[in-house]
Amino acid sequence: MSDTTFAQPSALSQVFTKTVNYVRASPGIVVGGGMLALMLLASFLAPLPYDPMTPDPTAVLKAPSGEYIFGTDANGFDVFSRVIAAGRSDLPLALMGTLASLVIGLLIGLPLSVKSKWSEGFMRALDAFQSFPLIVLSVTIVSLTGNDIQNILYAIVIINGPRFIRLIRGEALSIRDGRFIEAAIATGARPRRVVFRHIMPNVVDVCLVQCSLTTANAVIVIAALNFLGIGVSPPTPTWGSMVQVGAQAISTGQWWIAIWPGVAIFIAIASLNMLANGIQRQVEGS
Amino acid sequence: MTTAEAAQVAVKEKRRRPVLRYVLKRVAIVPISLFILGSVSFFLVFLIPGDPAITILGDFATKEQIAHVNSQLGLDKPLMERYFSFWANLLQGDLGTSFFTNEPILHELGKFLPNTIELVFFALIFAITLGMTIGVIGAYFARRMPDRLMSGITSVLQSVPDFFLALVGIYVFFFLLGWAPAPIGRLPITSGSADGTPFLIFNSLFTGNWDRLGEAVSHAALPVMSLGLVYASYFAKTARGSMGTALTTPQVEFARACGLRERTVVYYAFAASRTTVITYIAILFGSLLGGAAIVERVFNWRGMGQWALDGVLKVDVPIIQGFVVTAGLLTLTLFLLLDLVVLFLDPRVSYE
Repeated sequence: MSDTTFAQPSALSQVFTKTVNYVRASPGIVVGGGMLALMLLASFLAPLPYDPMTPDPTAVLKAPSGEYIFGTDANGFDVFSRVIAAGRSDLPLALMGTLASLVIGLLIGLPLSVKSKWSEGFMRALDAFQSFPLIVLSVTIVSLTGNDIQNILYAIVIINGPRFIRLIRGEALSIRDGRFIEAAIATGARPRRVVFRHIMPNVVDVCLVQCSLTTANAVIVIAALNFLGIGVSPPTPTWGSMVQVGAQAISTGQWWIAIWPGVAIFIAIASLNMLANGIQRQVEGS
Repeated sequence: MTTAEAAQVAVKEKRRRPVLRYVLKRVAIVPISLFILGSVSFFLVFLIPGDPAITILGDFATKEQIAHVNSQLGLDKPLMERYFSFWANLLQGDLGTSFFTNEPILHELGKFLPNTIELVFFALIFAITLGMTIGVIGAYFARRMPDRLMSGITSVLQSVPDFFLALVGIYVFFFLLGWAPAPIGRLPITSGSADGTPFLIFNSLFTGNWDRLGEAVSHAALPVMSLGLVYASYFAKTARGSMGTALTTPQVEFARACGLRERTVVYYAFAASRTTVITYIAILFGSLLGGAAIVERVFNWRGMGQWALDGVLKVDVPIIQGFVVTAGLLTLTLFLLLDLVVLFLDPRVSYE
């Protein structure tokens, strides 16, 4: 019997139903992830109406119009081009910081899941460390070690590494109680194999949620540091430094300079939070 | 007495007054934490790459200036000697003097810390009131329309950086509507410097200086709101979670079965989830001590965070050390209090 005897739904409608089902299952993942992908694509591929790095001294503090959609700032930079171009440095930096925090979390959190006095002590020390105003500590470290963009990475790791360590350790501790771990040990698996082959794959779910939350936090940290002028090398655009430039003009009414990059930050964080919620729901559901 | 009997006595001794043992144990950690804290602030200076004096003064410093900074940092003395004299000074409450203003750090702290505490205090009250309301409404109407609305509000608040909210606030309430005063500090320029009066709002309230109270409150409104709105999302999330759990517990069902009023039932559920919220208050208070820095800067609030940030950006080492020690000390005290309060409110916490 050939396939054609059945009334097959067309490929297009199949794709459509599948997509609808998926969106229904977790709208957060699709909408959040889609918006994020769109932002990344736009910042790298979108055609920019003006060069984001060269100011036009004849067009200073122009309000948004057909010519300059988002207006221009006090130096004559086109705000729209810069908001788009800033995503090129801000978003990859946030993702890299998250990746580094995840690696730190796995490397320290997994070994710490072996219960011992030593690991308890380490967690206490981590408590003390985390109870500190970490944003100021990271500003301190970044500004003491030099005004370098890679130091922002360290700041993100300082703030988010401990969260990953705590999360991964906690999750690994509860996984350790499972029968399959007991079975693995009984069959003679070495501790390292138990940790990397049997425990690590099972912490992936919580790590995914935490990763998108961390990226959201990293976007805020980067914006905050850039707002303070740390890790910025003008005229390279970043959302934080653009908000800073606009802050000086906002009490005289030129809102567009600070608001548009702020909206970009907001959309980035909102879509990452949506993604995190979506994954969370999926994890709980399965 | 045999060994077994002695062991039994020891066990009994251990069982007696577990609360006291817990409290003593908890207090005993404090000196250790203090030691780590002090050492961290001392060794922070070593993070400065190359010659700290040149980093501080810039590339065009004269030899005398470098020598002066070096002697002030004590960099011309051996490491251990510096470490011990740092501790000797610290234990006497001497945090050194700022490189740039030449004022004792302790004096500057006395000026700036009260401003921050006042700001954080009101911001937290705002955040708790708003956040708890959002969270409790969400938990009560779980998975229904109000819950969706509240969680929507929460995620919006969660996604705004506080300094951005501050700027939007300035634009709308100062520039467009003219309701709020210019973001230039804690009092209007015409009232002169407010540095002489710490705790401006409390001070005006208790001395009955109503004019000044009005001015101070109107200047505080925007910074308090921009911090409070952002931090409300944390309380909303916590309250939604813990109230959500508490409302499904058997005691709530029992309370309903007894025919208690709905208000009383919600109150009982609230009491069951309060420890989580209190923990969050302490954590956020600690992080706001420095975390309010950027908002303080936007409003020129002259608080501790702003002071520390300026110090950090100018590589003013004594200010950095002073801030690290003070913020750490406050956080440690706060967490000690927190643990004791939680112990008092919820005796189920393990004493180990």
